[in-house]
Amino acid sequence: MLIEALLVATLLAAGVVFFAPDRYAGKLAAVLSLLPLVGSLWLWLDFEGSGNALLDGSEIAYETTIEWMDIGYTLQWHVGLDGVSLPLIVLTTILTTAAIVSAWTPIDERQSQFYGLVLLLEFGLLGVFAALDFFVWFVFWEVVLVPMYFLIAIWGGPRRKYAAIKFFVYTNVASLIMFVGFLTLVFAMGDSVTTLGLPEVAQALQAGGAVGSIAGFAPETVKLFAFALMFFGFAVKVPVVPVHTWLPDAHVEAPTPVSVLLAGVLLKMGTYALLRFNFTMLPDVATDYAELIAVIAVISVIYGAMLALAQQDLKRIVAYSSISSMGYVILGLVAYTTYGVGGATFQMISHGFISGLMFMVVGVIYNETHTRMVGDMSGMADRMPWTVGIFVAAAFGYMGLPLMSGFAAEVFVFLGSFDAPYLSLAPLFTAAAMFGIVIVAGYLLWAMQRTLFGEFDLGTDYEVGRAPLHDVAPLAVLLACVIVLGVNPDLFMGMIQDAINPIVNSLGGGA
Amino acid sequence: MTWIYDLVPAIALLPLVSFVVALFAGKYLPKKGALAGIAATGGSLVLSLLVALTVATSDGADTGYNETLYTFLEGSSSAPFSLELGVLIDPLSALMLVVVSLISFLVHVFSLGYMNDEGETGLPRYYAGLGLFSFSMLAFVFASNILMAFMFFELVGLCSYLLIGFWFREAGPPSAAKKAFLVTRFGDYFFLVGVVAIFATFGTGAFAGSESFPHLAEQALHGEHSVNTFLGLGEQAWFTVVGLLVLGGVIGKSAQFPLHTWLPDAMEGPTPVSALIHAATMVAAGVFLVARMYGFYALSPTALGVIAFIGGFTALFAATMGVVKQELKQVLAYSTISQYGYMMLALGGGGYVAAVFHLTTHAVFKALLFLGAGSVIIAMHHNENMWDMGGLKEKMPVTYWTFLAGSLALAGIFPFAGFWSKDEVLYETLIHGLGESPLLLGGYAMGLLAVVFTGFYTFRMVFLTFHGEPRTDVAEDPEPVRWNVKGPLVVLGVLATVLGAINMVPIKKLTDADIDFLHQFLDEAPSGFLTSVHHYAELLEVEAGYGAADIGTTGLLASAALSLGLALAGAGLAYRLYNVPEPVEHTDKLGRVKTLLMHNYYQDEYQVWLATGLTVPVAKAADTFDQGIIDGVVNGISSVSRFAGRGVRRIQTGVVRNYAALLTLALVLLVAFFGVTGGWF
Repeated sequence: MLIEALLVATLLAAGVVFFAPDRYAGKLAAVLSLLPLVGSLWLWLDFEGSGNALLDGSEIAYETTIEWMDIGYTLQWHVGLDGVSLPLIVLTTILTTAAIVSAWTPIDERQSQFYGLVLLLEFGLLGVFAALDFFVWFVFWEVVLVPMYFLIAIWGGPRRKYAAIKFFVYTNVASLIMFVGFLTLVFAMGDSVTTLGLPEVAQALQAGGAVGSIAGFAPETVKLFAFALMFFGFAVKVPVVPVHTWLPDAHVEAPTPVSVLLAGVLLKMGTYALLRFNFTMLPDVATDYAELIAVIAVISVIYGAMLALAQQDLKRIVAYSSISSMGYVILGLVAYTTYGVGGATFQMISHGFISGLMFMVVGVIYNETHTRMVGDMSGMADRMPWTVGIFVAAAFGYMGLPLMSGFAAEVFVFLGSFDAPYLSLAPLFTAAAMFGIVIVAGYLLWAMQRTLFGEFDLGTDYEVGRAPLHDVAPLAVLLACVIVLGVNPDLFMGMIQDAINPIVNSLGGGA
Repeated sequence: MTWIYDLVPAIALLPLVSFVVALFAGKYLPKKGALAGIAATGGSLVLSLLVALTVATSDGADTGYNETLYTFLEGSSSAPFSLELGVLIDPLSALMLVVVSLISFLVHVFSLGYMNDEGETGLPRYYAGLGLFSFSMLAFVFASNILMAFMFFELVGLCSYLLIGFWFREAGPPSAAKKAFLVTRFGDYFFLVGVVAIFATFGTGAFAGSESFPHLAEQALHGEHSVNTFLGLGEQAWFTVVGLLVLGGVIGKSAQFPLHTWLPDAMEGPTPVSALIHAATMVAAGVFLVARMYGFYALSPTALGVIAFIGGFTALFAATMGVVKQELKQVLAYSTISQYGYMMLALGGGGYVAAVFHLTTHAVFKALLFLGAGSVIIAMHHNENMWDMGGLKEKMPVTYWTFLAGSLALAGIFPFAGFWSKDEVLYETLIHGLGESPLLLGGYAMGLLAVVFTGFYTFRMVFLTFHGEPRTDVAEDPEPVRWNVKGPLVVLGVLATVLGAINMVPIKKLTDADIDFLHQFLDEAPSGFLTSVHHYAELLEVEAGYGAADIGTTGLLASAALSLGLALAGAGLAYRLYNVPEPVEHTDKLGRVKTLLMHNYYQDEYQVWLATGLTVPVAKAADTFDQGIIDGVVNGISSVSRFAGRGVRRIQTGVVRNYAALLTLALVLLVAFFGVTGGWF
């Protein structure tokens, strides 16, 4: 019942904060967000699960199954955690608390509603990662969109309406397509499944022969169709090129704390779902089309990085670089090796912390300067030494500096994908994607040189002082997470590998 | 004494502690973190010396140490390799630890004079950077596997970024720092691909032992062990590819052609940092890496040939550019590039000991020259232009005499340290070239020719700086320097004079006296490590087909006389032209060649063009494409739907209720559709 307690506590916190007076809302939200944070750390320390929650032979941690109703398929409340979902839960709670504290400075109107929605968002995210039944999962998946929409549309920048609608419609259409894809698959399975439980569906598919023909289409075609629809639906969320254009708009308009959660956790919904659905349930399709998926991954890495290189707005730079980083996740997934898929999962966590940190540090500078344009400022290091120090550290983290989590994640992915068993020319795909580490260094170093160093100059009329402690503290916390995970990736990597191995082994894959 | 090996991690961790102390408490400390750094690197030096002593005095397996300290990621049945941090002590790493900690210690002391006494601000950041730099390099040196080596290789790059850009308020340093990191990152990209390839091929990245990747590669070539190769290549070809990939990182960090362009710009950093970068840390890391995994390179004659050619070419190429430079540190920068070219030439030419020897002597005399230059720069109130100097000889004798010792070593004049090591580099290349690898003679010829230029630019620098009449008021009355500057200079000056004695191979060959101490020392590696000199010699002969010609004592003397004669010729020309009371620039006589040299063969121009002239426009085009076409299609689809009908037009009204309604409706319809077709109801 611990997961339920976590969810209820988060939801209650959201409700309480929503109706609290604006003056206290921020601090109250921060304090209340410690509940899920401490709870998730407890879950992590106490974790005794093993294996992959969706596949055979696993010990799902904190599992609850309650039958709900029977509509031909049995709907059930089914939640539980394994080594893939637990790290994402921890990531979500840490980032939410950090984001709430970082909102104290920039959010100066309708605070109670803002923080209430942030906590509601957290509730939805926790549910997505904990759910093991399709309907429960899908409800949480959609719940996430609502607070996100309002957070962008109310507290966003000048074009917030456009960005919020684009985000909402784009990802919702994608959800719909994914929904069709999954239901097609389930219906084609006929009587092999009696519930929409994700483990049941995955295990029936793994056993083979479960998919029948539907509307005259052969089982292979049905699987391909379902795979393609789900892939498209999740790809929008990730996002991968070419369905990524909602992302920069949403990021640029969203207030900093919302960007932190958007880049840090929301994107991981996409990669998490890809792992859970496409790559766990339909590995045969994924391996058949491995080259195509690898091409998409490489294009996302390189093209995303090139787009970041062209930007003048610090936030846009970070936003586009997320597309690049998510490309590594796709590459790791399609590798179907322990290091590849495990590295992809680790990259989700690592990128969550690093991109959250990057958005936050850009936000702190924006709080003081009220600009994010590279050409509008220079020499910030002179005025905000500690903030800039963390900026530099975060940027190097993004570039994959060793002993920071990004390096571990990327190296795992590369080690895993170099001899990917089902991907022809795997070394070339890997080498091509790895070139991203040069481009990312290019645009981040360029941006830092222009904005942080040189003689102090500012194009806007603001006094730049040192950022207040409550702006810098969350940065330091996230940086500490990045370094701790970089020095000791095994904090998560052990359980991740444990949950990944059944997927890899189901294909008889190697390293 | 073997218990000392357990303390090896402390050699690196002490400077890490000084990094933390300087960063967080430096503001409150009397010397802003300098003393912590001095204490830490002093401790590292003592420990390193003890380690080296233990290696030298032990026998058998006790001459080395190869242990895993920390498992980064445990392997499992489906992930067959572990990623580890470990300690590898063998004669090579023991020697390098001493070199690095010595230079680092002296640079810290010197910094008291160069930074503290000059009233610099931001000193805690400076000393934190030095501490982190020393930590990274020392850990790199004792890295037991290639992944760990890569990790600290990268951290070394970060530190150089932080320190080159130390004076971040000016325009130049941040730009130079960016360039240094970016250019070396480009090389490191290939290195990382190589690291990944090594793990994928061998399942291990260990440097030493029977389970190390060089040994597995050797066995694979003999069919005694099977490894994965990729892209349809055979073992030999694939190992060459992997070796060349790793070489990319070496070329970047050791500033070899064509990735040498960052190094001259890196002069924007404080001079003690230049000393550290050039002598013992960043630039040395590349060459050290080749030496570290020499057992792997020795299997591939192609890779060795490439190394030798890049080295020989770089030695010559950089030396020619050093001839026309006007700033003291610029001359030294090009000399560094050139000297590392020699080390590469030696490694590629089968002279492993020669390369390590030159790495050691160069560390000493290049640190000396940079610190000497630093002393001059203090005296000149931070004017680095040699044409504004002159006549400093009388005003600063300690600096002059030590600088002169360093210059004689750099030029390779008997009996200074550089003579012995450079002579051995050329000799080894020559005998292997005359033996069974005639292609090496090309590298040898370039290396030999570079000796003339080296002699010339070195003494042009000495004469312009110290001889003649003072050409400016500042040079007339230079600022005095204190003990903290002179002390390190004297230590290094003595070493630059006598260090050649550790490996006087020609004397040994002539007299049969057993005095090639470095060779013996390096050969002492535990036999199980497979990193000893005789093992490498065997590999070179058997696997790479490197047979040495016997050119006898006459050949030996002729070779030594030739390189010495050429060095003296270059120095003599400089004497004729520049050792006059009022020297003038003679470079105009070079005509268009001067323009070419002043522009560094337009190497920077084309690389800057690649970055800003090619990549940036492509990125802008991609952005336009993204905004116009891809996003245009997205917006276009929504526009189409807007015109599709009244009901759907609401999709653009921005009322979420409508979307929610639409979604629900669609969901219901879909469920109903599939319910009917799937026989759900």
